[in-house]
This record gives sequence, C-alpha cells and structure tokens, in this order.
Amino acid sequence: MPINLKSSVVESREQRLGTVVGWDGKASDLAKESAYAYGAGGGCGKKARKVCELHGPFTQGSVCSEMMVECQAGNVRDAVLIQHSPIGCGAGQVIYNSIFRNGLAMRGLPVHNLRLISTNLREKDMVFGGIDKLERSIRDAHARHAPRAIFVATSCATGIIGDDVESVTTRLGQELGIPVVPLHCEGFKSKHWSTGFDATQHGILRQIVRKNPKQKQEDLINVINLWGTDVFRPLLGELGLRVNYVIDMATVQELEQLSEAAATVTFCSTLSSYMAAALEQEFGVPEVKAPLPYGFAGTDAWIREVGRVTGRSEKAEAYIQKEHARVKPLVEELRKKLSGLKGYVSTGSAYAHAIIGVLRELGVQVDGSLVFHHDPVYDSQDPKQDSLAHLIENYGEVPYFSVGNRQQFQFYGLLQRVHPDFIIIRHNGLAPLASRLGIPAIPLGDEHHALGYQGMVNLGESILDVLAHKKFHQDLAAHTKLPYKRAWLEQKDPFVLSRPGAKRSDESAA
Amino acid sequence: MAKDIKQIAIYGKGGIGKSTTTSNISAALVEAGYKVLQFGCDPKSDSTNTLRGGEDIPSILDLLRDNSHVDAHDGIFKGFGGVYCVEAGGPQPGVGCAGRGIITAVELLKQQSIFQELDLDFVIYDVLGDVVCGGFAVPVREGIAQHVYTVSSSDFMAIYAANNLFKGIQRYSNAGGALLGGVIANSINTPFQRDVIDDFATKTQTSIVEYVPRSLTVTQAELDGKTTIEAAPDSEQAGIYRSLARKIAAHTQSKVPTPLSQKELRVWSKGWADHLIRAERSTTQAAA
Repeated sequence: MPINLKSSVVESREQRLGTVVGWDGKASDLAKESAYAYGAGGGCGKKARKVCELHGPFTQGSVCSEMMVECQAGNVRDAVLIQHSPIGCGAGQVIYNSIFRNGLAMRGLPVHNLRLISTNLREKDMVFGGIDKLERSIRDAHARHAPRAIFVATSCATGIIGDDVESVTTRLGQELGIPVVPLHCEGFKSKHWSTGFDATQHGILRQIVRKNPKQKQEDLINVINLWGTDVFRPLLGELGLRVNYVIDMATVQELEQLSEAAATVTFCSTLSSYMAAALEQEFGVPEVKAPLPYGFAGTDAWIREVGRVTGRSEKAEAYIQKEHARVKPLVEELRKKLSGLKGYVSTGSAYAHAIIGVLRELGVQVDGSLVFHHDPVYDSQDPKQDSLAHLIENYGEVPYFSVGNRQQFQFYGLLQRVHPDFIIIRHNGLAPLASRLGIPAIPLGDEHHALGYQGMVNLGESILDVLAHKKFHQDLAAHTKLPYKRAWLEQKDPFVLSRPGAKRSDESAA
Repeated sequence: MAKDIKQIAIYGKGGIGKSTTTSNISAALVEAGYKVLQFGCDPKSDSTNTLRGGEDIPSILDLLRDNSHVDAHDGIFKGFGGVYCVEAGGPQPGVGCAGRGIITAVELLKQQSIFQELDLDFVIYDVLGDVVCGGFAVPVREGIAQHVYTVSSSDFMAIYAANNLFKGIQRYSNAGGALLGGVIANSINTPFQRDVIDDFATKTQTSIVEYVPRSLTVTQAELDGKTTIEAAPDSEQAGIYRSLARKIAAHTQSKVPTPLSQKELRVWSKGWADHLIRAERSTTQAAA
C-alpha cells in the first residue's frame, strides 16, 4: 500500500510493514519468512509480511516512539520541539542533549543546546484538556527562540484523552507564519520505537518539504542519517554530488529542499524507509535501491546505483577502482590479524545486516546476532533493498539470528550460545552485561564508522583496539556476579519464556 | 476517485433512537442509489444490526485486539441494499477507554484510505453519547465529518445531551470542525412534545430537520432485525425516514449553533416543566 500523507497520523510499522520484535532462528529462515522475492512472501499468515512472532511474557528494556521524535525533530537546528506530555516524557532530554552537542561538534557546526519544551501536563490538564497549555508553550517557543518551525510531539497522555492538538497547531501555524507540525507518536501505538522515526518524517513530509519545487538540484543528494561524522560528503563528492544531511542537525531550509534532490540514500534502511519511499512517491526523488554501502559487495553495488541514478556512472566506476586498490591491501592485512576471532552484532535491524557483512569481509566469524526488531519489507517494497538477503547471499548464513527488543535477560543466553570475543553495539544497556561475561563491546556511536570502503578498515582497527583491553573485561567477569538464578544461567534457550505460549501474530490472543 | 464524500455524524443520548434513525437513513440512501457506509461508534457495536438482519459483525477493535496488522477490509461488511457496515467496537463496560477506541478505529480506516477506495457517496457515523470526552469528539473534528445531526426527543435529558453536543461543535467550529445540520426530533407524537423541541431549536438557533413519531412499525421491524425501510417499505414511517434521508442528502450549509449555558438551560427546562404540570393538573381536574 502506498504511503498515505493525507492522514495526519502515521501508520505504525506493524501496520505498514508487519514489523516483529520477537523471533529466533537461522537468518536464512527469517529472510524466507519475510515478504521479498527471496522467500516470495509466505510466512505464517494468509498474507505476506506476517512473520511468526515470538511473544515474550514481559519486556525488560526498550524505548518509545516519542523518544525517536525527540532525537529527530528535536535535533533540527533552527526548530523547536514541544513535548506535549507530562514532564516524565522529557527525561531523555539530558542524554539527547549530549548526543546532539557531540554531533554538532563532530560535524564542525556551532554547538548549542537542544530546544525542547515540555508542556508539563498534570492531573488538571488530563481532566480538562491540555490544549490551552500547548498554545501557551507554542507562543513561548516562538517568542524565546524565533524558530523556523515548531514541532509538537504528542504523548500517551494526550492520545488517551484525545486532546485536539491539531486545532491549535493549524491555527497558530497560520498566525505565526511558520510550520507548526503535530507529530503523532504516542508510545502505546506501536511495539517498536522506529514508528517514531516515521512519525517525524510524516510530519516533515506533510508540512515542511517544499510541495512544488521550482527547480531540481541535480547535484544534490539527500542523506538520511543521524549524528555520524561527515563521511558522505567526501565520498559522494568524488561523484560531484553535494550532500543534504537530514534529519538530525539539519536546518528547516535543508528539510524544505528534500523534494529538489536528485536522489535519496541512507546509512540504514530502518531509519530511512519511510522518508525515502515517500520522497519518491510524492516528489519523484528516486530512492537509491541497492544494498547498504558496507563491505566490498554492498559498497560497490551502492555506488554503482548512485552513479546510475544521478547520471555519474563513469565517476562511480573510477571511484570504485581507486578505493579497491587502496583498501584491499589494508583489509588483507587486517584479515591476518583478525582471523579466528568471533564477533557478535547487536544493533538495529538493517544496520546489523550490514555490520555482519563488514565483519565477514574482515575474516571475523559471526555466529550470532541480536537485532531489536525486524521489518519483513521496507516501504519501497523493492527486493533490491532486502538487506538480510544481501547478507546471506554474499556472506553466508548466520546460524543464531535473533530478534528481541534489547532484553538483557535474554542477551546472557544469546551470548552463551556463541561465545564471541567481542560484541558490536550502538545502544545502551547491553555492554555492561557483556563486560560481566568478560566480553568487550565496540560502541558504534558514530554510525558512519563502518560505512563504505574505509569503514572496513575503521572497524578492523576498532576491533584490535578493543581486544587490547580484553584483560580488563576478564577481570570484571572474575569479580562480578550476574543477577540471575542458577536455573536461568543454565537455561539453554534464551527464548524459552516466549515459546510455551508462543502464538502467531495472526492468531487470536483471546 | 476524487469525488467528494459527504460525511455525516449523528449524535444523541443513549437509547434515544440514534441507531434506529441512522440505520433507516442509511437504508433510505442506498435505496435511492447512493453508496453508503455506516460507521457505528459505540462500544456496544450494535449500530448496524438492523442493516444486517440482526447479525453481529466483528468490530475494528476486535480485529485489532487479535492481530498486530489489521486490514480495514476485514472490518467492513455488506448489509441491506449493499450498505457497508463498520463497527468501531470498544472495551467492556467499566474498563479501558471507549473514547480512545473511537480515535483508534477512525484513524485506522482513514489511514487505509478506505472511503475513497469504496467510492462512497456517504459516510454516516453513529456516535454514542453527548461528547463526553476528546475521543467522542473525533468525528466532529477537522477532516472527518462535515455535518452533524443530533437525534433528540422532547425529554429534558435528551435535550441536555443535544445542548452538550452543540457546545462541542461550537468549540471546534473555529478549527474547521463539523457544523450542525440540524435536530432530528424523535418520538414526537403530541403537540406539546413538538412545542418543547421547537422552542429548544429556536433558542439555540438551529432547525428541526424532521419530526419522527414513535411507531410500533419501527419496534416490529427491529425485533425482526430489520430497518423500517426494509421491513415495512410502504409504511408511513418508512416515508418519514425517506423524507429525512432526502433532506440530509440535499443539505449543504450547516451552521454553528448557540448552545444554552448551564443556567439558561435550567431556567428554560423549569419553564417547560411548570407548563407541563399546569397542563396535567387541569387535565386531572377536568377528569374529576
């Protein structure tokens, strides 16, 4: 089904893509259950895109859609984000501020604090409605920061009372003469937080992106990313392309010109799926449909496709040749040092597929991976973006491939199945547990670290670095105890609690 | 594809005959050749019963409870004359949040562009209650219904509910919300009842779309699981429903009502109550 921008509320990932947050098995089986040509639909439901989901009895750790709105819409440099919520939803502001400031510094941009305002809804507002407070906050935000746009994130509280946020945003948008954009991101609406990415992108597409661009910028390429270092500009500069980084740390003007670009690319389809597909559908900006740019196979295919779509194939080929010649010997050297090592990848979904590929290029054995969710299809529905199939076809099977929403209690068992020498992470909550098992973690806070040809070298060097202090983690393991009972420590199946009552996603819960 | 769909919401106090009226309007509209979808917004999920021979259908929220992915088509059922029937559904009495249920169900259908796909002429929302919370106001808000009708008898409690609805409409009218098409005066059998409802309409600057008398024909049809249009097509009552449907189909300009304040309403109803008592006394005395 095409993306529907008429409705102000985004459709959740489970509705659009059939997203699951619990699964355990071989990577090839998951690829077969997913909707792409690799497995030709199927799954356990009567329609495609229904992966048989494992339902656990409880959730130990996750985040919420609203938080993804904070770290996307909240990171637009000349906008303000209003959290229309009780104050607790603002608890993430501190950590997001540090990430934002670091990101600005890494990108060489002026460093300043996030501009997030909470309407601080209280008992009275729940009973009588919160839109008067919202109006006041929008006016305050406008007076205080003179932003180019104001985003309003809804919350579970406003969703339940049915607060009519749009009546305020529409009216004040007209009055203030800037986009005032409601983002419907109630945490209870989706079991996976990536719906929050989609909610932000939905609002930007509806109210900020220029509807009828006068002219296309044929050398401009949209890069949907987070806070990573500036690797796309030099890379795509080789092809004579200018980079439009969105959404984090972009300006409103940079968001407006999304519709004028020659193409859209990303570092991770989990993040970009909605925006990239919608830009193609609504504005004819092609989404580059290729494997993600990681490892030789992925990067080659990706650069060729960027070259083809933007009419720069010759330059693309020249760049590929040049980089192969430069990087291949370096990777060979690293392979010698890294061979025999075992890695474990625990990150977001499409990103994990890519990183496993990079590890295998480096000769590292990867027997297992935990991804936080799985999208059986992306919004473009194009099999060329099937990152999991790309992994399996180019780099082989991952025997223990698990989908779980950052559940530490499971993570212990997952690591015990494969005994890695190190883990790769991007999110909090997993490294401490691994450390207590004597396993060091490589945090890829800079999401571009392993990207492209140079990314293989970067990641190889990071592995050598982290293994240099393996002893520290072994000491930690020797002097700490895990908080689990013996029965759980001896349990072979990390998903055992999900299996007895395991039900298919299309079965009755009753 | 791009034709304008007329979206109408019908509100009123519980038990006032809202679903009966709505279903008969839907039936009369399909009979006249329109493509109609009736959307029951009541946790009891019985709005469309008489359009489907008394048969229950699974509600959108039933489907959502059992599935992580819901295809809106699975919640749409055909009834009398090809009318599409949808029930929003909702929680059991005393638990959860029925208002949120309406928001969720309406959103789901909107996101899947189902009304455009079905090439509808009319969507009629049959909404429980008197806009008690934000959820029940959803069909009145921007982008959903354009016209709101309220079903009310001359009973004071029903009029209170109608007045509350007017307050909701007034509130959203500035933000592009639905406006009031008028009052459907239900169970009006005596001149006195007619005077009461007429006076309320005058005071709130609205108009009566149709006077619908209480009729055994309706009860009989309902017991049979049918609308009056289907069960007794030649009855006088069916004629009244057809006339009502024609007026709604032809209606274009709705208005902002002027609801009475709490105090005004009290004074107004007391005036009519005194009048009623005087009238009854004189009848009793005459009989004695």
